[in-house]
Amino acid sequence: MKKGIIVLIVTALVLFTTGVWFFTSKGDLNFFSIAEFAIIIVVVAFAVLLGVKRVSSAKRGEPPEDEMSKKVMRRTASLSYYISLYLWLVIMYFSDKIKFETHTIIGTGILGMAIVFAVCWAVFNFRGTRNE
Amino acid sequence: MNNRIKELRARYNYTQEDLAKKVNVRRETIVFLEKNKYNPSLKLAHDIARVFDSRIEDIFLFD
Repeated sequence: MKKGIIVLIVTALVLFTTGVWFFTSKGDLNFFSIAEFAIIIVVVAFAVLLGVKRVSSAKRGEPPEDEMSKKVMRRTASLSYYISLYLWLVIMYFSDKIKFETHTIIGTGILGMAIVFAVCWAVFNFRGTRNE
Repeated sequence: MNNRIKELRARYNYTQEDLAKKVNVRRETIVFLEKNKYNPSLKLAHDIARVFDSRIEDIFLFD
C-alpha cells in the first residue's frame, strides 16, 4: 500500500513538472520536445497503472506483491536490460552519422530504456511467465 | 503442466479472490495459474494443495 502511494506521489510530481515545462515553453516546442512530452506521458501512464493495481490489491486484502509479480519484474528487468544494450548500440551508430546534442542523445536513450521496460512488462504481465 | 485448480475451486465453492486470500497471493496469480500461464513455486503449490486437502500431484498434473 505504501509503495503504491509513493508511486502515485512521484507520478503526480513528474506530471506537475512536465506541466510547468509545457506551459513555460510558451508554444516554443519543436518536434523532439513534443516527442519527449509524449514519451513522458506514456511512462507516467504505466506508473499510474502500476500504482492503481497495487492500491486496489491492498484494498481487496491481497498482498501488493506476490511471487508471480516478482517473477514478472525479474524477467522484465533481465529482458529490458538485454534489449537496452542494443538500443544504446543503435543510438551510438546514429550519433556518429547525425549531429545531436549530448543531452538529446542521453535523454533519448533513457526514455527509450523506459519504453522498452514498459513494453517488456506489459508482454510478461499479459502473456504470463510459464517455465518451459 | 496442467492443473485442476478451477475444478477444485468450483467443488469447494471458492471464488478466485477467496483462494487468493487463503494462499496469500494476488487474484491475478490464481487467474494465470488456472489458464496454465504460470507455474507456481513449490511453496505455493503446497499451500494450494493444503487448502484443497489434497496432495500436490493430485492437483498439478505433469504431462
